[in-house]
Amino acid sequence: MDSNVLLNQMLYRMEEVFWHELSDCAPWKTEYVGIDFIQSQDIKGATEDEVIRSCIDRIKAVGLAQEVDFSITGNDILLKLQVRDCQLMLKETLLRKGGIKPYSCPLANMIRDQLIEKLGYETTYLADMAADEKTGCCDLKVAIYATPEKIGAVSDWSKA
Amino acid sequence: MQDILDVITSRKSIRRYKPDPVPDEMLDKVLEAARWAPTGENYQPWRFVVVRDQETRNKIGNLARVGSGSRMTAWYCLGHMQERFAGIQDPEKRAKVLRFMYSGEVSEFAKQSPVVIAVIGTLMEGSVDVPYDLSAAIENMLLMAHAQGLGGCWVHGPVATTRDAKKFKEILGIPTGMGQYKVIAYVSIGWAAEARKYPRPKKNLEDLVYWEKFGQTQRPRHG
Repeated sequence: MDSNVLLNQMLYRMEEVFWHELSDCAPWKTEYVGIDFIQSQDIKGATEDEVIRSCIDRIKAVGLAQEVDFSITGNDILLKLQVRDCQLMLKETLLRKGGIKPYSCPLANMIRDQLIEKLGYETTYLADMAADEKTGCCDLKVAIYATPEKIGAVSDWSKA
Repeated sequence: MQDILDVITSRKSIRRYKPDPVPDEMLDKVLEAARWAPTGENYQPWRFVVVRDQETRNKIGNLARVGSGSRMTAWYCLGHMQERFAGIQDPEKRAKVLRFMYSGEVSEFAKQSPVVIAVIGTLMEGSVDVPYDLSAAIENMLLMAHAQGLGGCWVHGPVATTRDAKKFKEILGIPTGMGQYKVIAYVSIGWAAEARKYPRPKKNLEDLVYWEKFGQTQRPRHG
């Protein structure tokens, strides 16, 4: 059996039961999933752009995804990620088939972790995740707060 | 003896407090009520950290503000908060309420609450019911506080994420290992400085209860 299929099936079952136990709170509890890898990669960078690019380079280098694009907008608190051909798309497909909207992205968790660890960001939050197995794309909206003062910097993200 | 249903139905979550201290004997009753909550196989996994220190409460309040604010800011930007509060007709009032929420101020009140009680559970003694036991203890605490004329609130916000839960533990010196203690919430206790609308709107029992089988709303005759 393809080891990646096995990994996706196991992650799917873990996330399924997590959702069952915690409902909408499940994404908040799974933010450490994936950070061990990125913390072992000696990510460097003095700016968010550099840190995020460095994370993406490592993610692509180990084949977790073919391509990851990003932009920062929405008063500098919205990190938009587009992941293509992610190795974890199968678990999102299985979750969706089970009636659960995909809610946890280890790749986003890696980037969030390094913004906090390397740049001292106050906090981050995975606000939205739209995985489309037909196109192989996953669009993520991540709220990133460099300082406590960025809390409340609202804008309309549908236009961002 | 006061009817327990009166105590239950008149309780409300209090988020504004007078600065007056809570006497020890009243606080002890709140903790004693927690001790008598139902607990699977009598494991009693709960532990309580009682905080009166202003500096510590400020740290908890700040953590709660950032936690709630970070999520609600994103929800506002996605349009979810506007939908949730669409029922407030006055645009100025609605905007004020929304600002109060997405700024995180809504969760900052540990700073004003004279007592904050962190509710944690040991994960090292074999209990299989830790979150449920702790939740039952919290309900007992809130009811005991209310029965004595105190106000209280069950607050999950500052410990909702794994990273924030770790920060919360560090503030209080709780071991941070994921296999050691689970922090489920804190409970604020104090004298209410607000009179919330009573009763809060609740769903009807008919919308919540099924008889004999899920989905069966017709109450069967018995006897």
